[in-house]
Amino acid sequence: MKRSWSKIIALKLIYEAMKRNKIKLIISIVLMIVVSCDEPETVVTNYVHPDGSITRKIEMRNNENSFKKSGLQVPFDETWNVRDSIEINKKGDTTWVKRGAKEFKNIEELNLAYKADSGANKKILRKAGFRKSFKWFNTEYRFSENIDKKLSFGYPVTDYLNSEELLFFYSPERVKQAKESGPDSLKFKALSDSVKHKTDTWNTKNIVSEWIGEFSKLTAGKAGDDLTYGSLKARQDEFIKIVELNDEKFDSLWKKGIILKKLIGEGNAMKYKTEADSALSLVTESYFVNFKEYSVRIVMPGKLIGTNGFIDTCKVLLWPVKSDFFLTEPYEMWAESKIPNMWAWFVSGLFLIFVLTGVIMRVIKRG
Amino acid sequence: MKTESEKYNKVLKILRNSRPQLDSTGDIEREVINKIARAHQNRLNLSEIIDFLFGWVYIGWVRRSLITASVILVLVFVYQQGVILKRIDLISRQTVVTNKEIVSTPTDEIEKLLLVYKNSGRRFPSKTITISEKEMKDLLESVKELQIKYKDLENLIEGDPELKKLIEKKLVENNRVKTNL
Repeated sequence: MKRSWSKIIALKLIYEAMKRNKIKLIISIVLMIVVSCDEPETVVTNYVHPDGSITRKIEMRNNENSFKKSGLQVPFDETWNVRDSIEINKKGDTTWVKRGAKEFKNIEELNLAYKADSGANKKILRKAGFRKSFKWFNTEYRFSENIDKKLSFGYPVTDYLNSEELLFFYSPERVKQAKESGPDSLKFKALSDSVKHKTDTWNTKNIVSEWIGEFSKLTAGKAGDDLTYGSLKARQDEFIKIVELNDEKFDSLWKKGIILKKLIGEGNAMKYKTEADSALSLVTESYFVNFKEYSVRIVMPGKLIGTNGFIDTCKVLLWPVKSDFFLTEPYEMWAESKIPNMWAWFVSGLFLIFVLTGVIMRVIKRG
Repeated sequence: MKTESEKYNKVLKILRNSRPQLDSTGDIEREVINKIARAHQNRLNLSEIIDFLFGWVYIGWVRRSLITASVILVLVFVYQQGVILKRIDLISRQTVVTNKEIVSTPTDEIEKLLLVYKNSGRRFPSKTITISEKEMKDLLESVKELQIKYKDLENLIEGDPELKKLIEKKLVENNRVKTNL
């Protein structure tokens, strides 16, 4: 049989969805895609200087000449030096490009801009950090961009993925696509499937865990010992199974209170239905937080000595920023570099020669 | 013709007969002694400087301290450079992104949203979404396109008994696993 399994399963899923009249669901997803088309593709580049100042450059590309401040992924206002241009490709498609640059005197100034951000990602807590360490022979620099985690009760993705899968998970889309269509395509497709399967499990577990956390917070002091965080957590795997087994009819079963009865018992379900619904709403709010993806690039002073990012063809560090990356753990994009202190090398050399000469002279005189 | 030796002897004789008159031999003597003393004094200064600079080699604790400091300096240098070179080596082995990363919504993301949507009780946060006329047109076109694709898919499945059988089998298996509450 020539048809690949993945294709058959994909067909099956579509067929199944259509058969069960899930057009509502598909429309919702299409709607999400259409709504997200409005945002420009954005790449932010931080040029870090030895004195701690930062030149921040931004490049935004859009299919239409629309760069509304509220739709932008990173802080951007009229204080930036802006240059607009239009690019037309061979097919005749037009892309509007907005490039901006701004000098930030120090990291505090950049963090103030993040705090005052009114763009698309304003709800996400972001901050930057800069550290300069004098280490005699070299001065080391560390710059980082940090994004706070979204969920309070989630599990780190490192619990689910091994090092190879983690590398794939955090890779930019182009790297993933190149690997999946490269010489080791079979290996990487299997890796991609494995990552997808494991992250699906991870997502489900996070949702259940978050619901348990929020629900126990809402019922704290009111409910009995069987609804404390610890007792609910101990039954987490059981909850996950119930959710997974009923995912097709989850909505109607939840509304009827059937799933809740299974989870916490009939008595508790009747008593704490409002809290359970509120907890689910809170979980949904956390998951569907409005976040528009973008890419971050960093150019460090001196020689690069460490990073958790990817290196692009221009030898610039690159990170994709996706909501999954900071779902359960803070996402830190960091880079370290060093500049040699030549004067320290010279002074050290002189000192060594001086001590060595003294020792040699003593040896000569003694003998 | 006079020979060269005769000329030489004659000059020598003249020089011998015309010696300089030394009026102050004492001054000359003093000057010579001073010069000799100055030369001796210079030699003494250099040795004093060397003694001053390297006198520490004769003081045990200073000598040991400076040698220890030198060794520490060398060790720190070797360690620092070693660590840096190792880290640079690690970086050089890292994947290079072939082109500038373009932000996109991969199919995985949609599938993930679908999973989250399903698991969260099929609800989106309560918020108002403003959609322009163009976006609405796009949406309707997308739905229309989706319906056409659905029909194509249906025809494809209907036209391939093997695939239809397989799908039905899988659906039955899937339904068997689910527990209806």
